[in-house]
Amino acid sequence: MGRIYQFLDERLNLTPLLRDITDHPVPDHANVLKTRSAFIYCFGGIAFFIILLQALSGVFLMLYYSPTPEDAHASVTYIQNETAFGALLQGLHRVGASAAVIMVLLHMLRVFFTGSYKNPRELNWVVGVFLLLIVLAFGFTGYLLPWDQKAYWATTVGLNMVANVPLIGDFLASALRGGNEMGTLTLLRFFVIHVMFLPALLAIFLAAHFFMLRRQGISRPL
Amino acid sequence: MDLPEENQSLPRRRFFINGIKALAALFGLGLGIPLAGFFISPALKKDKHDWIEIADSSLLKDGEPSRINYSYARKDGWKTAQTPRTAFVVKQASGEFAAFSNRCTHLGCGVNWDSALKQFKCPCHGGVFDAQGRVVEGPPPKALTRLALKVEANKIFVMEA
Ligand code: HEM
Ligand code: FES
Repeated sequence: MGRIYQFLDERLNLTPLLRDITDHPVPDHANVLKTRSAFIYCFGGIAFFIILLQALSGVFLMLYYSPTPEDAHASVTYIQNETAFGALLQGLHRVGASAAVIMVLLHMLRVFFTGSYKNPRELNWVVGVFLLLIVLAFGFTGYLLPWDQKAYWATTVGLNMVANVPLIGDFLASALRGGNEMGTLTLLRFFVIHVMFLPALLAIFLAAHFFMLRRQGISRPL
Repeated sequence: MDLPEENQSLPRRRFFINGIKALAALFGLGLGIPLAGFFISPALKKDKHDWIEIADSSLLKDGEPSRINYSYARKDGWKTAQTPRTAFVVKQASGEFAAFSNRCTHLGCGVNWDSALKQFKCPCHGGVFDAQGRVVEGPPPKALTRLALKVEANKIFVMEA
């Protein structure tokens, strides 16, 4: 490892880059070793860590999952019962989904109560709101994928809520549903939104979030 | 930060760096093993094989392999797939029956029986086998696969290898 790193470093001068990414001093008020209550500053990082786990377990679940009404439920059952560690990974992904939402909400509360959303960090709050919506959209689209009774009816209710948006509600709901009845197209587009559209959006908004965070530094203590 | 603490901070720094590395390794293994196992798990599964009835023994000609198409139900992921197969069944001089898979042992093309030359010929790279399935010429490394076979009440059953 050391030799490989040295080889790359001699040619690419990585050390300053790495130092900038990994060796950033944490101010005392956000350092758990210095201030006991500083753990609230970890919530964003924990949310990020959980999201990485979701991405990893999700990509692997796609090895077996099949997004058609005929196959979806049987493929999920297959993952749970007939693959090595399938029950573990599926469980991790499901529990992780809830944990991600909880950690993002706690992180948002931290930012709110430390007043960190104020000038100059308003934009990062705005980006944060989009991140929250994206995480919720992951949850909503993912919930349909097992295609069992709970999934089906939860999505029926969710789409009927969308249909209550003034003026364009019905149109929005059918666009998401892929028509007027839930079925093949609904499941397929929820799947594609879940594994393609949302990850791309999430990556863009997380990059913006972390870029602003590093440019502005963590907010000062109260 | 005052000076004494600054001096102290190097071993502590190394302690944390090592701790982080150990933690990363632990997570890496804890995740890596399940993920790898999950990925390769179909490769670890053994297929279950049953006897498949494929022909009536009275319809077979002596010494001349008959091409028989059959299919059997195979577990295909979470589904059951009807899987088509072809075998050559022959009643040998001894009176025993033999069944050969039509899959060439080179790269798996379907071989044909040439009744004039009494040979199996592969259309792909010129593999040739004799009536007992032995390699006569060409790239195939070994004889045609013989399927397990049994005869019961004039019915011929084979089992996939
Ligand atoms: C995908 C979800 C999110 C992730 C992974 C994430 C990650 C992070 C991380 C790692 C930090 C560094 C400080 C900390 O950890 O507390 C941070 C800071 C911040 N986040 Fe988030 N965040 C997310 C969602 C949100 C949401 C929903 C909001 C608010 C609507 C938000 C607003 C902010 C703001 C304003 C800061 C700067 C805080 C400061 O300088 O003290 N973030 N975020
Ligand atoms: S596959 Fe039969 S000779 Fe190559």
